[in-house]
Amino acid sequence: MNELKHALLLVGSPRGVKSTSESLGAYLLEQMKKKGVETSTVRLHHVVEPSYMRKELLDAVEKADLIVLSSPLYVDSLPSAVIKALELIAADKKVRGYYKKHKFMALVNCGFPEARQNDTALHICQRFAIETGMEWAGGMGLGMGPAIDGRPLERVGGMVRNVRKALDLTALALTEGKAVPGEAVELFGKRFVPGWLYLVFGNYGWKRMAKKNGVRGRLNDKPYEVPGT
Amino acid sequence: MRAVIFNGALENGGVIQDLYEIVIEELQQKNCMRKGFILRDMSIGPCRGCFACWVKTPGICALDDAGRETAQAFAQSDLAVFITPVTFGGYSSELKKAVDRLIPNISPFFMFKDGEIHHRPRYRKKQKLVVIGVLSGDDAQSVETFTTLVRRNAINMHSPYSAALVFQEGDSMENARKNLREVFTRGGYRSE
Repeated sequence: MNELKHALLLVGSPRGVKSTSESLGAYLLEQMKKKGVETSTVRLHHVVEPSYMRKELLDAVEKADLIVLSSPLYVDSLPSAVIKALELIAADKKVRGYYKKHKFMALVNCGFPEARQNDTALHICQRFAIETGMEWAGGMGLGMGPAIDGRPLERVGGMVRNVRKALDLTALALTEGKAVPGEAVELFGKRFVPGWLYLVFGNYGWKRMAKKNGVRGRLNDKPYEVPGT
Repeated sequence: MRAVIFNGALENGGVIQDLYEIVIEELQQKNCMRKGFILRDMSIGPCRGCFACWVKTPGICALDDAGRETAQAFAQSDLAVFITPVTFGGYSSELKKAVDRLIPNISPFFMFKDGEIHHRPRYRKKQKLVVIGVLSGDDAQSVETFTTLVRRNAINMHSPYSAALVFQEGDSMENARKNLREVFTRGGYRSE
């Protein structure tokens, strides 16, 4: 029996459609859509400010049975605009009452190789669900997010086969009214390449980008340094 | 010694303002140079995740607003004190908007640290970090998440010392002052 009617994706990256958060969330929603679930997407950075846009967010949340937050990790937590959105939703739930039992799940991706660096942000998502009377359906963390670079997962190739499999399993479970399976969490967090290789390529990538911008020799600038400190 | 204080309250007054004033008083008594920021009154845009502060204008955010001022004050301080309502176990959006904009102060380059990959520091000067959270109600899980978040921030910011203090609304301010003094003492805070 299909218990899930409407799934809402909240994209937490300021890069919106060009972001890895959007790639991951869109793939998950697409799999649910194939199973007959109605879906919609709200890009949080576009609706938190200006304030007149907030109604769009709050109405979309109210309409959904399942809310999927897909966000990058910013300084061990969620980006400020995502926290603002969660604060707004929490305040709105207080006003409207907790009559509707939404489900809430989260995908958090970071630029480090270790998926576990997302754990604190996922705990924050879980606390949000609990404090707003939603049912926590689970969370998944992904490392090496920039390797996806906002491309649709179908176009990234074999590197993300575990990610796709994890999201396939998650879509199936959520559609059937279940929580995110442990196997999916494990697959989602698997590294694409060894950590040392990521470090080498990552550092090379920064130099290449800086060279393109004509600042290759200035990467270690210290504009705020106080002389003598 | 220089200190920077980020007040992440969502509204005027209340316990956070009381704690902010206590922090200011304590630092004043030690003749510490201090700079306090009431973040909700400041125009600080959200980090755009564009990496310009790493690969276009190294060390300076592309957004020319008050977020540059808070990042500069942080980089030049020895002690950073954050005050925030505990929000789903983390920081408020007002505090987080300034914390996200501290990214220019670290280097894009990666390094291994305690078995994980992190970004290298940009500056030699490192900030001791004290984060004060105000919790409405008794919630052990939120306290644990908050404490972990502060510890993780200290790793990524290369802080030589960090402490998380969580108070509940209604706690005595005298106790809060006492706890704060203990934390400053443990962190090797000294008068000048």
